[in-house]
Amino acid sequence: MLQLLIAGLTVGSEYALIALGIHIVLRATRVVNFAQGEFAIVGGLIAFSCVDALHFSVWIGLIAATLGGAALGLAFEALVLRPAGRGGESGATIATIGAVFVLLYGHALVPGWGSEGHLLDSFGGNNLVVPVPPLINQFKGLGPQVTIVNPQSLWVLGLLLVALAGLYVFFERSYYGKAIRAAADNPLGARLVGIDVRSARSISVALGIALAAYGGTIIGPITLVGGAAGLTLTIKAFVAAVLGGLDSPIGCVAGGLIVGVLEVFATLTVGNDAADPLVYTLLLVMLLVRPQGLFGRRDAVRD
Amino acid sequence: MLAVFAALVVVFGVVARGDAGLVQAGTYVAIFALAAIGLSVLLGNVNQISVGQAGFFGIGAYAVGYLTVDQGWSFWLAAPIGVALAALVGIALGFVALRFRGHYLAMATLAFGLITVGIFHAAPALGRASGITDIPYAQLGALTLSGYPMYWFAWFVAFLAALATTALLRGRTGRAFEAIRNDELAAEAMGVPTRRAKIAAFAYSGALAALGGALFASFLGLVNPDAVGVALSVDFLLMVVLGGSGLVSGALVGAALIGFANVVGHQYDNWREVVYGVLVIAFVVFAPRGILGALRAQLGRRRRHIADTGDAGATAASADAAVAVLHAPSAEPVAVAGLTKRFGGLVALDDVTFALEAGTLTSVIGPNGAGKTTLFNVICGIGRPSAGSVTIGGADVTGARPHRIAALGVGRTFQGARLFDEMTVLENVVAGMPRLAGPVARERANAIVARLQLGGVRDVLAKDLAFGDRRRVELARAVASEPWLLLADEPAAGLNEAERLRLHADLRALRDAGATILLIEHDVRLVMAISERVIVLNFGRVIADGAPERVRNDPVVIAAYLGTAS
Repeated sequence: MLQLLIAGLTVGSEYALIALGIHIVLRATRVVNFAQGEFAIVGGLIAFSCVDALHFSVWIGLIAATLGGAALGLAFEALVLRPAGRGGESGATIATIGAVFVLLYGHALVPGWGSEGHLLDSFGGNNLVVPVPPLINQFKGLGPQVTIVNPQSLWVLGLLLVALAGLYVFFERSYYGKAIRAAADNPLGARLVGIDVRSARSISVALGIALAAYGGTIIGPITLVGGAAGLTLTIKAFVAAVLGGLDSPIGCVAGGLIVGVLEVFATLTVGNDAADPLVYTLLLVMLLVRPQGLFGRRDAVRD
Repeated sequence: MLAVFAALVVVFGVVARGDAGLVQAGTYVAIFALAAIGLSVLLGNVNQISVGQAGFFGIGAYAVGYLTVDQGWSFWLAAPIGVALAALVGIALGFVALRFRGHYLAMATLAFGLITVGIFHAAPALGRASGITDIPYAQLGALTLSGYPMYWFAWFVAFLAALATTALLRGRTGRAFEAIRNDELAAEAMGVPTRRAKIAAFAYSGALAALGGALFASFLGLVNPDAVGVALSVDFLLMVVLGGSGLVSGALVGAALIGFANVVGHQYDNWREVVYGVLVIAFVVFAPRGILGALRAQLGRRRRHIADTGDAGATAASADAAVAVLHAPSAEPVAVAGLTKRFGGLVALDDVTFALEAGTLTSVIGPNGAGKTTLFNVICGIGRPSAGSVTIGGADVTGARPHRIAALGVGRTFQGARLFDEMTVLENVVAGMPRLAGPVARERANAIVARLQLGGVRDVLAKDLAFGDRRRVELARAVASEPWLLLADEPAAGLNEAERLRLHADLRALRDAGATILLIEHDVRLVMAISERVIVLNFGRVIADGAPERVRNDPVVIAAYLGTAS
């Protein structure tokens, strides 16, 4: 039970980080980036190459993936989002779907990456044996006495907290973070008070993509990096964001963790094949019943 | 354009006769074209983005697979069932689409596509990951629809669909779609049933995709989840974006290009898709209307030039018949009672009660934020009142949809003129008559355009109009359906003196023809000159109501306008 919960929170952490990225890009550009999950995949692969081909430590790989994600984000903003944004929301959305194809099939062409998944080195530590508290054990009767926890799960949760703390400090405490928020909320007003709205946009997108790359890397030792799962990641993160509230950063994180846990339990009850459709159905239901999400504001949904 | 394409298909069919590979490629183009035509209607004509078109394609394919293999049915029975099922699912997805647009809709349709693939994957009856194999060819009498015969049959079906879609888009439905694409709210206020039209578009689009899927399963003999996955949805999107969304022949061109690129480039896996992705982005940025859209814009410019010189005086003859007005069906065209509208804590309308007399011009005045536009919206059905009732022509229409109210004979103009920007002036006026057949509507629109002296800008796109002309075009559009009740929201704002006088002359002429007019206007001098009655709103309440002279001297009104406590 505890093991499943931790497994759910672990995959949920990746959804949370990608969902946060979607949220940041959406706020800055008014576009939902369908390629967000692909950037998580590419980020993980960058880290994999650092470790596998260049023999750096996995920590260097994580830094390279994050910076690489930021660089890709800058390019993505300049080459796709900005020019396509002039064609309205539909056009920009379609352009990000085009970017999915470029990244999904493009990464398979990179030597050493290919279209299959790779296992990333663990961030360190041995399996932890956690005794189940006697009280719970009593109620459950004949349950196992101990739970084995993959140390990477703890790394993932810890690194999620590190990222969240960093984001909080950046957006709430630093001048640049506040300027970026201002530029996203009211571009004209921000321009009038002297904020460079265009670079604020670029930085936001770079940050959003870097988060996805970071998320794709820290989960790598558990779920593999690479492969064709990018669009699945995007939509699960979007489910998470809609569940928590697309306009609420806390909602995105909470939604990600909830979707992760739900998914793990759904896999256990209805099997692997049916779990994903169930998660997507959750999206349609959420959209119809409570489109503002659990933590969002009602007026954020309609135009 | 379709004829050119048909000729190409015939030539190709004859030339490729002996080459099984080419015939197969040509057949796939026809099959994919069906789904692309459907998506093109959805994306280009109604502006509803869908990343789930392959889901409908899969429904058609799996219906044929399951019903022919597992149930032993004939293709001719299985295919229509698949198409009908897809149409039903399309209606359901249409309901989702009513609430969302843009990226929400894109995500929802992507989820739909993934859910269908997930069901195909999970259902034991549908063969799980290996899908359904050994699907028999369709029999047409003694003829087996495989290989070469299937090429002709698939194209026969594709052209039937293309012609049907062209006819649909030329008719009333197409005009409704075009209005929705340009401005949904204005379309609804003109009397276009926008909800029904959008749901119908999803059903139609899904049905065409399922038809393609049915042919696909029968032609290929097998179907599996991977064949109808998200990648195919993106392929369809690419076909439409490439060829030109909203154009039937654009979908055909896009399907042909991608179909053959798939055949030619099949040994360049990955590279091919990367190029597709780059193409999607490039077309969105540099040629958002696709290949055919760009081509047509070139041709259209030339054609419009010819029309300008040839056709100028032709319509003046029927001008006088234009601004005729049907008389009010009852002595009380509109009455509101206890009308209240709250937005959260803000009370925009507070217990407003009045009834208008037929054939009069009544003005609503009041400071900014007094609730004037909210009053119009609630009368028109845009937003349900929190309390109170609206009666139009003796019928209670409280909470009815705007298009129903428009259909009763209520015309409306918007603050800031909501024209259909991508349409010409004439098309805008035609769009004001969604219930009339095309030729009749065009003839009347020509007459109205002439009557309101808009002939000079008749073929100009609305977005290129000068401000004053925009106002008058909106008025022309609103009176096109001969409303007996006209709600005009600040039609004179921003006009110069001469334009203002002309506008008021037009309004007066309309009133003299029997229409009842409710007018929002800021210019108190003009209001006093042309109204029989003036209603003054302040903070959502009626603070004065009566003849212009009386209202002008009312101390409460003076206080509201001068800002002293009343």
